[in-house]
Amino acid sequence: MKLLAKTNQIYLAFSLAIYLFAGLAFYQVVRILIYREVESRLRVERLDFEAYIRLHKVWSDSTYFVENKIDVDPVSAHAPQTESFTDTLIRNRYDNELMPFRQFTFYVPIQGVTHRVSIRKSLIQSYQLMEVITATMVVCLGLLLLGTFWFQGKLSGRLWHPFYETLSRIKRFNLASATPLQLDKPEINEFRELNEVLRKMGDKMQQDYRSLKEFTENASHEIQTPLALINAKVEQLIQSEKLTETQGRWIEDIYQASRRMARLNQGLLLLAKIENQQFTANHTIDLTVLLSEKLDDMEEVLIHKQIAVEISQSMPFEVQLPPSLADSLVTNLVNNAIKHNHANGRLELASDGEKLWLGNTGSALVSSPERLFERFKKEGSSSDSVGLGLAIIKEICDNYGLQVQYQETSGWHRFCISRKPETE
Amino acid sequence: MKVLVVEDEKGLAESISDYMNKEGYICETAATFREADERIYLYDYDCVIVDLTLPDGNGFQLIETLKKLLATTGVIIISARNALEDKIRGLEIGSDDYLTKPFHLSELNARVKSLIRRRNFGGHTEIRFREIRVNPASRKVYVNGQLTIISRKEYDLLLYFLSNIDVVLTKVSIAEHLWGDNIDSADSLDMVYSHIKNLRRKLLEKGGSDYVRSVYGIGYKFGES
Repeated sequence: MKLLAKTNQIYLAFSLAIYLFAGLAFYQVVRILIYREVESRLRVERLDFEAYIRLHKVWSDSTYFVENKIDVDPVSAHAPQTESFTDTLIRNRYDNELMPFRQFTFYVPIQGVTHRVSIRKSLIQSYQLMEVITATMVVCLGLLLLGTFWFQGKLSGRLWHPFYETLSRIKRFNLASATPLQLDKPEINEFRELNEVLRKMGDKMQQDYRSLKEFTENASHEIQTPLALINAKVEQLIQSEKLTETQGRWIEDIYQASRRMARLNQGLLLLAKIENQQFTANHTIDLTVLLSEKLDDMEEVLIHKQIAVEISQSMPFEVQLPPSLADSLVTNLVNNAIKHNHANGRLELASDGEKLWLGNTGSALVSSPERLFERFKKEGSSSDSVGLGLAIIKEICDNYGLQVQYQETSGWHRFCISRKPETE
Repeated sequence: MKVLVVEDEKGLAESISDYMNKEGYICETAATFREADERIYLYDYDCVIVDLTLPDGNGFQLIETLKKLLATTGVIIISARNALEDKIRGLEIGSDDYLTKPFHLSELNARVKSLIRRRNFGGHTEIRFREIRVNPASRKVYVNGQLTIISRKEYDLLLYFLSNIDVVLTKVSIAEHLWGDNIDSADSLDMVYSHIKNLRRKLLEKGGSDYVRSVYGIGYKFGES
């Protein structure tokens, strides 16, 4: 839920409650005022009535010709005599409509007989007044609500604008690019501070990233050079004629070990570079074509190991990858499929446009399939492999919106590459 | 043929220059950018082998200067960085080849030879060794004047041998020369063996002598001795 929608929602609920309460309170106040007014008039009329009785000693209905204004009834002296104000409805004589009245009941002795006197005042005017007032208030409050709602929406939109601007810039921010994170200086202090902090963080991250990158390159240089030296010296050493068979074997071991170390170093550096996303120039690459080409390249190895290649479906499988990584991905996949294949085995490539499989026959897995993609996980103990191939495949896939899965079914080992479902 | 090796790692520079000297080149070394810069102003080289990262400068700059001075000099970059951008940039400013460290001296030697062949004779020169004659332009091999049909890899193998006569070539370096760096060794060493067997057989069939010798199980040597 968006911030503005959320505040609007809370604001709406709150102002509705307040307005409702205010409306009810107002209605009650008006009602009390009206009643008080009517009741004080009724009291005055009572005084008039009592003055009249004192003067004339007798009451005659004819004095009051207006209908329903007064009722004078004799009551027994023992009846309870309490004065009271009540609301009552009385039917209109002409159009038979029920009309609201306020009635004041009191007891007066006339010529020695207690009479109950009820004088009334019509409330119809007051009710109409109240209706009009209520209607006006509802309209006014409604307009006020809408108005403030609109205003508040506009206002928070404007107030939060720098925040959303910052957010969108951070989203676009690319760590690997040389351009620093550029943010505005909004007039609101909090946002300015936020941008300031973010800019500092961005700069620091870029700086760290750069030094990491430099470290990667330097480490590569520092390790590769001594390795090159070992290699060169060993190569010179084997040119000498005076080596014995045993010495030859030792040298061979040194040589192999240095080659492996070079490979290992290159593999680790490649992994680090992928993790740091130091490859940025993506191209559209058809992996199906690339894999077929790779298999053609490896034809001799395949013939040598007598592995039959089947390409069952070859729909294009296009991905966005830097070319060197695409090549690395394909090379590692093919190498893996060849290395773990047995003689007279089979290798299968298929793509339906959504998924790409590379399968190979081979003996059953010894280690658990879940750990297959981990670094230095080697199947079997062949010392010539450094155990980074599958880790590289996985790292490339993870970083470029692909996923790789491994399946084993009846002697077939399949690596399936598919596009990661869009998460956003 | 004069070759300049620009490499700050003394031991490596020494190994390269020893190897080159043995191949009959006049080889000089420079350990710093300044030294190298001075040398390329003073002397003309047929081929310059440049390390990209030097203590006091950048190899790219050196190549640019070199190309301005004498465009026909061949340039081979040797670098610890296996970065595509470096390779592309190197080619753009006129280098001919790019080798990632660590490399095989025999591989470097083969590349230097092939480069000099291309530069000096436009590739129209034949490589001769005794009764074997190879025409690089048409990729044809003659033994005792008879055309010998060999496969593409066998041709590459033969040329690699001919570039490194009387030198022990390790099996790994042969494998990597034929199939590239990414080849997995276990199978490739078997393949090297079978290719060498086939090549030998084909040369012998046309009346050639057997020049390939296995050395300590490490590798092979091609030569008269």
